[in-house]
Amino acid sequence: MKQLKFKHFLPVIITIVLLVFFYQLLNKDVTKLSSQLIEKPVPTFNMSTLLEEDQSFSTSDILKSDVALVNIWASWCIPCRSEHEILMLLSRMEGLDLYGINYKDKNESALNFIKTLGNPFKKIGVDRNGRSSMVWGVYGVPETFIVHKGTVIYKHIGPIHMNELEEIILPILGDIL
Amino acid sequence: MNLGNFGNILLLVCLSASLIQSLHLLPKKIDINYKIFSRIPFFFSLFAFILLIYIFVDSNFNYQLVVNNSHSEKPLIYKIAGAWGNHEGSLLLWILVLTIFNFIFSYSKIENLDFKKNVISFQSFIIFGFTLFLFFTSNPFIQSESIVNEGLGLNPVLQDLLLAIHPPILYIGYVGYSLVLSFAVGGMLSNKVDKEWAGWLHPWVLTAWIFLTLGIGLGSFWAYYELGWGGYWFWDPVENASLMPWLAGTALFHCVIILEKKNILQSWTILLSILTFSLSLIGTFLVRSGILNSVHTFASDPTRGLFILIFLAIILVISFTLYAFKGPLLDNKSEINLISKESSILANNWLLLSTLFVVFLGTLYPLGTDLFLQKSISVGPNYYILSLLPITVLLLFIMIIGPNAKWQNDKITEIIFSISKLFILSLAIIFGFSIYFIELQLTQITLLTLSLTLILVSIKNGLRIKNNYTIIKPSLGKSLAHIGFGLLILSVVANATFAQEKIFQAKVNDILILDNHKFKFKSVEQTKGKNYNSIKAIFYLMDNKTILETFKPEIRVYSNPPTVTSETSIVRKFLADIYVVMNIPENSDFVNVRIHIKPLMSFIWFSIILMTLGGVSAIVFRVRLKR
Repeated sequence: MKQLKFKHFLPVIITIVLLVFFYQLLNKDVTKLSSQLIEKPVPTFNMSTLLEEDQSFSTSDILKSDVALVNIWASWCIPCRSEHEILMLLSRMEGLDLYGINYKDKNESALNFIKTLGNPFKKIGVDRNGRSSMVWGVYGVPETFIVHKGTVIYKHIGPIHMNELEEIILPILGDIL
Repeated sequence: MNLGNFGNILLLVCLSASLIQSLHLLPKKIDINYKIFSRIPFFFSLFAFILLIYIFVDSNFNYQLVVNNSHSEKPLIYKIAGAWGNHEGSLLLWILVLTIFNFIFSYSKIENLDFKKNVISFQSFIIFGFTLFLFFTSNPFIQSESIVNEGLGLNPVLQDLLLAIHPPILYIGYVGYSLVLSFAVGGMLSNKVDKEWAGWLHPWVLTAWIFLTLGIGLGSFWAYYELGWGGYWFWDPVENASLMPWLAGTALFHCVIILEKKNILQSWTILLSILTFSLSLIGTFLVRSGILNSVHTFASDPTRGLFILIFLAIILVISFTLYAFKGPLLDNKSEINLISKESSILANNWLLLSTLFVVFLGTLYPLGTDLFLQKSISVGPNYYILSLLPITVLLLFIMIIGPNAKWQNDKITEIIFSISKLFILSLAIIFGFSIYFIELQLTQITLLTLSLTLILVSIKNGLRIKNNYTIIKPSLGKSLAHIGFGLLILSVVANATFAQEKIFQAKVNDILILDNHKFKFKSVEQTKGKNYNSIKAIFYLMDNKTILETFKPEIRVYSNPPTVTSETSIVRKFLADIYVVMNIPENSDFVNVRIHIKPLMSFIWFSIILMTLGGVSAIVFRVRLKR
């Protein structure tokens, strides 16, 4: 019988190292994805609003609030529906203003959505074609940003789940409110 | 009984039958009738797949998957294709392909029953793992939680006929390599890895290779005309995920040829067999877990990722550990001469694996830096082009020399003599081109000359002139595939060198000039399609006063889900494609038009067809020779 050699075990060793690497990747919280915006000032933007005809929603609105949460949503986005309840909860917090950006949506469906599920937002901007939210680096909906004194301090990709609200969002808000 | 429960029962039968068959692998042999248990999963996954198509065609919005991916107003063909245009459905298709391969293999006339059963059982184990994954984390038959009357629609970018056939073809290739892995494991378990084993494996490796080649080609073709970016290959992580098994599979296929002829390189062939399907699995893991983001990304879900990772770990660790203990024992003592067909195939192997390594690194390294250093680096086309350039030059060189070398031993002078005329001819053509038309750089001259030589040498190798008759040799397949590869490199290089692109802001009646082409912006038309509104801009390609071609690039506004897509307008000519895309900025009185002139595009597609045909004719000749 031939002797077993170390080199023949190399493939399995490399494979195991790779698998560990994959496991690490998997565990990495994608919602903490490094954003270009973190620690940067709120981007400059200007859009029309959903509820008021002749008003606009822009950077200056967000700067008026000490702590602001900007949520990008759409009525066609199913996860946004489940997340909406949590936004409704957050809207009751004192000292926190919620702003919405309605993303690639139809006005009537967006209004319907708000009418049925409630409006947690102080103001809702409309971005019909997704171009104006580009400055926010939006990947898709929903996405949520927390802004403190004009600086983006946190970006959340995907819907905020109850456990994430308790473990991530509330501690961050607790620190600054 | 409702259809969803019925579907789940079909999946459970498939799951249990494949589990029972894979029990054969346990050390204590259990007598299992492989003819029954290896074939049941095929029928049941086929029924499940047909059932899934049925609920899509029926627009049955009781099912979450249909709600998320279909719409009652969608054209029938896209309702059908919608069944596999999502994570769950495509996974069911994946399982179906796994079972098809096992089903067909169970009818093969291999007399070594011990080996045959081991292969079937390991394949059944793979089927079991994937069905478990489908059933628990990605069940396509889940009822929707709320009552819905209308679906959310299918991503309009995916509403394309080509995309309906692209995944099934790609999967046959991608998944076909699973049987190759089962062959490797079965061969090691039965101590049967030799000439005969390679002969059995040969058609399966080829089949998977043919479909994977065609599948990658179709994907690239789709990206070219649908995404409107003007390119055909983006080094997108998901494209890379399909390219990696292709590279390993190509290397494997060449090794199988040596093993079949010379009965050497057993352990190396086994290693490549495992590697090829591992790369298919790793690709699947990276894409389906949502770790890699791209246009292809499916809804990501961490539990799915974890499940595939565990399954991946089981399959890979078992196979590679088995290799560590068994692989080296299988080798025949052999020496390979430097100048011989064997050595050139081995050199080709290393070059293909180097390419693989470059692609692997380019795909995973950014993930690594992000994870360990919290820094992002971007790996772009430049990285790939610059790293692959020297490898491609060497690869072309070996491909010119190798097929002309004899088995075992040959003299380098004779080979060089036999190809020198064609090499000089090619060099003269390229130089002539460089002098009379456009001045070329050294790298371009090198690549173009070598690929042209490869084409000419391969044509010569495929034909034999005997008594004034031209005879096609049985090695036609090899020649076609090599001509195809030469043509691919030639046209890719020419395309990259001579492509032109310009963006215009145009108003109606404007004249746009690119190179020596003159375009006139005629008008804008608005029409209504079946489930979208369309805005078309009409452009004429003019020659003084006459209209040569008409272009109608289009913007489509879909309502379900609300999406805007831009449809390219492409006119294919023999030597170049003219490619026009437009978009309309808000509140402006002009349109943005991008015009590309892309030389030899048709040759790129033709070269992929040639490679595929090469594979097909290799199988045909093989079957005929056996008779």
